[in-house]
Amino acid sequence: MRGVLTVARLELTVRVRAGRWRWLLAGWFVILVLFTLLLRLAVGRSPDLAGSSGTVMYGGLQLFQLALALLVVPALTGQSINGDRERGTLGVLQVTNLTPFDIAAGKLLAAWGTACVFLLTSAPLVAWSMIEGGVPAVRVVAVTVVLVVLLAVVCSICLGLSSLLARSTTSSVLSYLAVFALTIGTLVVFGLATALTAPGNSGSGTETTWVFLAPNPFVILADAAPVAPLPPEHCHYVVPDNGMGGQFPSIAAEVCTSVSTNVDPLGTISRSVRQLRTDPNASSFSPQPVRSGGLVWPYGLGFDLCLGALMLVVTTRRLRTPRRVLARGVRLA
Amino acid sequence: MTVHEVVTEHSAVGDGVSARGVRRRFGAVEALRGVDFTAAYGEVTGMVGPNGAGKTTLLLVLATLLARDAGDVLVAGRDPDRQARAVRGQMGWVPDAFGIYDNLTAHEYLRFAGAAYGLGRESGARADELIELARLKEFSDQPVHVLSRGQKQRLGFVRALVHRPRVLLLDEPAAGLDPYSRVELRGLVRQLAAAGAAVVVSSHVLSDLEQMADRVVFFDHGVAVGERRIDDAVRVAGPRLWRLWALNAAELVAALDSHGYAHTPPTALGVDVELDSDVAAAGLLAGLVRDGVPVVSCAPLTSTLEATYLQLTGEQA
Repeated sequence: MRGVLTVARLELTVRVRAGRWRWLLAGWFVILVLFTLLLRLAVGRSPDLAGSSGTVMYGGLQLFQLALALLVVPALTGQSINGDRERGTLGVLQVTNLTPFDIAAGKLLAAWGTACVFLLTSAPLVAWSMIEGGVPAVRVVAVTVVLVVLLAVVCSICLGLSSLLARSTTSSVLSYLAVFALTIGTLVVFGLATALTAPGNSGSGTETTWVFLAPNPFVILADAAPVAPLPPEHCHYVVPDNGMGGQFPSIAAEVCTSVSTNVDPLGTISRSVRQLRTDPNASSFSPQPVRSGGLVWPYGLGFDLCLGALMLVVTTRRLRTPRRVLARGVRLA
Repeated sequence: MTVHEVVTEHSAVGDGVSARGVRRRFGAVEALRGVDFTAAYGEVTGMVGPNGAGKTTLLLVLATLLARDAGDVLVAGRDPDRQARAVRGQMGWVPDAFGIYDNLTAHEYLRFAGAAYGLGRESGARADELIELARLKEFSDQPVHVLSRGQKQRLGFVRALVHRPRVLLLDEPAAGLDPYSRVELRGLVRQLAAAGAAVVVSSHVLSDLEQMADRVVFFDHGVAVGERRIDDAVRVAGPRLWRLWALNAAELVAALDSHGYAHTPPTALGVDVELDSDVAAAGLLAGLVRDGVPVVSCAPLTSTLEATYLQLTGEQA
């Protein structure tokens, strides 16, 4: 553990002194502030959203922040190992008492810590949305934890790619491609898979293909967020029809028809994916005002965590010396 | 500060490095084709050979970074493939091209190296010692990027001493250094050997090693093709070129002609004469002085070591 901390401390010191991150952090903050400000103004213009501006702001901010983080992390981490090799600082590290795991985990810790510093800058904006109302603390805690875990996964993927590929430019590009695969790629695969399985099925097919959406970081973040509470006057009980004239009293649901349920960005995504998971044709609710159906985020987060752990193992293995196999054109020192 | 406080003194007995029949292949290229190499404690052993002769590859094998395909290797008595961790604790390695984190200060850099070797609390004091040894005291708290190339080289060099290694591997340490820095490097290397360490120094320039090494091993095409002790090499007699320079070139040429010595036409650098031995050179010089030729210098143009090197490594050198 001491070795991990030694490497992490070195990485962070070098990063902090490099200066480049300061501009990145400043730019990051300015963009978040501008986004939140514009979002607040937009919400203020809509009278329907009067009571739920905080919910909208918070959800929008978190999704936007995740998107920004997915852009920044590959830039900060995508050359962590092959960049060191190119600069001739890796070999000197490998001949010390530090184990390959010390180096891999230390670099991951530093990259993750840096990413978390970026998240931290949004704290005043989060506080603002909480003051606006409709954002319970439990939601903030859950979303932040999931966001932090997702960043660790993305850092680990980028780190692994920088250990697998000889050139730092290649691994940077591939890091962006990996992020692209997780975000857009999951949507594309889901769409294609649904189209391929749908014909001949009684349902739309999404009750099996939803798994392709699960690893999407936005889906995980939205689905893991606890439901935003609504003013009770907007809610009433509905007992769904079973389609044969009977009723299912046991699955009576609290339906909140407030507009705010439909404008909460996190809730909207979450309801959609859960609806996809339970066959939408079998449901009498359309569109679903409440979340029903099984959770999606544990599967997605579980998958992503496995991917992150696998990449950490890969990184560790790639740092093992003495080396038997060398990539073409790679100098060890 | 003497080096004795900086490296642990060892009983200067036996070999710090011994390699036999080491082979290593990179795809189609066989970089090491059965190298035999030893480096004794208390000595500086030079590795010399043209670029691509396998020096760096062998050093990487010794430094526990590269696995060998075949052969037996011991570094500080341990196998670098199977007991890498044990070897690392006893071995210091300075690669030919190494980076230093530009944003760290010299002191921080050495402290980090100490921490990486598990020195813990001792790292700070150790960094102070090494800064002093590298004569970088005034740069201790300066960022590394203000250091000159020679200063960086010294910093990288003492970094490899942070854990008091018994075996030191230096890959082309003199490359790119100015003459003054070379003299300093030589002093440090000699001190380490005097303290009992086995020091291995590679270079493709023989003159870098001539004044630093006790023994030189010649490399070519992935094998060690021969070796010489420096003191032997100086004594060994054989025909070689000597360069004479006199205040009056015409008088020198006339005297050489009259004594029947074959010589090159005079240039601004002097006149070259091939002589069989040091004795012949002494005789020629005495004769010229007797004749009243104002001789300023008379020195061998190539050392016997260099002659051996050229002969062993063929036209590639």
